[in-house]
Amino acid sequence: MVKKKEIFLLLFLLSLGIFFIYIYNYIQQSQEEIFSKIERNKLKNIEYIFKNIENNIVRDNNITDSKELVKLFSDNEIRQEYEKHLSLLLTPTIKYLYLLYKDDKDRFRFLLDASKIDKANFYQKFDVTDEKYKKLYETSSVQIIKQKNMENLFLTYLYPIKSNGNVIAILSVDLTTKIQHIILELISPLETFFIMLIIFIFLFIILLVVQVFYYFMTRKRIFTDPLTQLYNRNYLQEIIPSLQLENYSLAMLDLDRFKNINDTYGHKTGDFILAQSSKIFKKSIGNNDILIRYGGEEFLLFIYKDETNISSLQVCESIIENISSHLFQFDNNDIKMQVSIGIHENPVLEKNMNEAIKVADKMLYIAKSEGRNRVVSFDEKLRTIVHSKDINYVKQALAENRVVCYYQPIFDYKTNKIYKYEALVRIIDSDGSIISPFEFLPGLKHTNIHYKLTQRILSLVLDKFKNSTKSVSINLNFSDLINNDIENSIVTALKENRDLASRVSFEILESDEITDIKLFKKKINLIHSLGSKISIDDFGSGYANFRTILDIEANYLKIDGSLIKNIDTNEKDFKVVKSIINFANEANMKTIAEFVHSKEVYNKLLTVDVDFLQGYYISEPRSEVVEEEKLFKI
Amino acid sequence: MKTLLILIMAIQLLLASNNSVNTHKVRILETIVKGITLQEKIVVWSDNNSLLSVLKKQNNIETSYKCINSTLIILEKNKNLKEECLSKKIFVLNYNLLSTIKKSFGALFWKKGRPNIVFIEPRLKSQSISISKDLESYLEDRVW
Repeated sequence: MVKKKEIFLLLFLLSLGIFFIYIYNYIQQSQEEIFSKIERNKLKNIEYIFKNIENNIVRDNNITDSKELVKLFSDNEIRQEYEKHLSLLLTPTIKYLYLLYKDDKDRFRFLLDASKIDKANFYQKFDVTDEKYKKLYETSSVQIIKQKNMENLFLTYLYPIKSNGNVIAILSVDLTTKIQHIILELISPLETFFIMLIIFIFLFIILLVVQVFYYFMTRKRIFTDPLTQLYNRNYLQEIIPSLQLENYSLAMLDLDRFKNINDTYGHKTGDFILAQSSKIFKKSIGNNDILIRYGGEEFLLFIYKDETNISSLQVCESIIENISSHLFQFDNNDIKMQVSIGIHENPVLEKNMNEAIKVADKMLYIAKSEGRNRVVSFDEKLRTIVHSKDINYVKQALAENRVVCYYQPIFDYKTNKIYKYEALVRIIDSDGSIISPFEFLPGLKHTNIHYKLTQRILSLVLDKFKNSTKSVSINLNFSDLINNDIENSIVTALKENRDLASRVSFEILESDEITDIKLFKKKINLIHSLGSKISIDDFGSGYANFRTILDIEANYLKIDGSLIKNIDTNEKDFKVVKSIINFANEANMKTIAEFVHSKEVYNKLLTVDVDFLQGYYISEPRSEVVEEEKLFKI
Repeated sequence: MKTLLILIMAIQLLLASNNSVNTHKVRILETIVKGITLQEKIVVWSDNNSLLSVLKKQNNIETSYKCINSTLIILEKNKNLKEECLSKKIFVLNYNLLSTIKKSFGALFWKKGRPNIVFIEPRLKSQSISISKDLESYLEDRVW
């Protein structure tokens, strides 16, 4: 878009320049033409006058040859009389007017000289070199000499004085350059007008060029991040309307643990790392790719899809490799950096640019969650996570008390009784529909709203079960567990009610990011000390640290639904589940199989000595706790 | 601004024009001096100092800053002719001086913007001055 503007401007200025050159030449040609026309006109008039003079001299005096002419003008009085009359023709442009005679030795001599200045004597020799004097005698016709190196003279007009068809003398007139000045004066206003116009327009063009220059300089300043020399978010807003998103993949880059660099080495080092990293990014990408500094250490990269070149994913992997292999050296510190990247290879599928960026950002979040220094590409499986309800939705639901808990029974098939219930969060939408946690939980992780939601669930569940004899299981993740507010809520509620505490289990996600094992164990011990139980949720889905699970002395292992749902047909899943149950038995933990959705699955599980069963085949989650008689009603 | 530019150009043209006339004059004078033969060695003096300076730079022309030491005077103004130099050969730069200074044998002058040369034949003979063949076309019997 910018290039088109520049080219258009250049062509415009070029056309204007050519137009002005044409106008200038046209004026010059017109001037020459005017000169020529005025000259011709003036000389024509002179010719008429000279014809009269010729008649007067030759016919009135019956002159038949040059000798008679010399004889006539030898008379001082006659000569003076003629010179007097001829001098009447002198004007500012007619400087000299004289009659020449060619003697026997072919030398020209003055017979008459009507000039007011530089007057020649009678019969004085006049040295002429131009061939036109001779030519006049040969052709008997008027000759015009354009003077070049003669002071003040512009043109000499030679008129033949003839008698009986023979040239007997030359009537010569020297025109001064004043004629040009007169012509110039005549056309001067027009010329001045054009010159002023041209000057004005050229000044305007110069002004325009300066303005354009400053415009592009300002544009550059507005659209460039001074630290990294990359485009900034202003540029993103500028290109959004014209960007052909179908030609690009969209990647969100974030330098890992950049905050630590600033905290440890200072902001100068941080700035250095940012500038250096930007250079590495630029070297790693193609010419058609667009790199934007999106935030502090966040960068947005539009990777142009060129089928002949490497893929977008390869570009991202190259960036990761180049950053991780580079040693950043600043103030005698050697620093290693890593970068995480989330990429959406088909951002055009999203509603708009903001949605596409949001997807790439969530992929980046996943890349961070999965251990950093990696690229995560968006696929349809992740769409549910990406398109979950946002924080404001949950915030509003909390404010309007539309957060509720559903309860799904965990069945003890050996006693045929409900062993306990799992509390499952739901939001009642403004239209009354029930919204599943899959639609709003992914967007809340690590946010304050997530903690508030957890507190609300704890409050709802503990309140409901405090005066009951039934047991309940509540889901927590590691970040909930280490949150002081949540811990206080749990401790306050359970410390005073040991009966309730003994009926409460906390399901901790096995796949959750447990970064501090020591702290994790400490929190688990706190729950144990209150008399509550611990269940490891979704066991088998993540990277289980068996030692940790043994150390924390969990009471239950809930086998991940992905291993259960096809257990009736998938022999491998069956074997894994059997192994988990054996491990749990050895570790003195009870096992719970979730996702029991059919009779076949249910029956298969009865063969593997699992302790408890949970799933839609037994009962779906309900807003109220169900009793045994309402089970198996699908 | 435009007037100033035109004025500057006019002055430049005028200077160029004067230079052109002077150069032309010197070149013609050089030819004339070389074309003249006196009975003694030609040593030129002129009342036109700038002309004398230029002539001095010519290889084949000997000049003098004193009239008395010269053999050929190139005279621009009659008043500059000192009495002690009246015996020298005199070439004038004004046609009318040919009439005023009866002894002057020739002239170089500008008439109607064109250079003109005249040698008065009787005066050449009376002073035993000879001229080259090339200059013979400028010979005149008398001053008109």
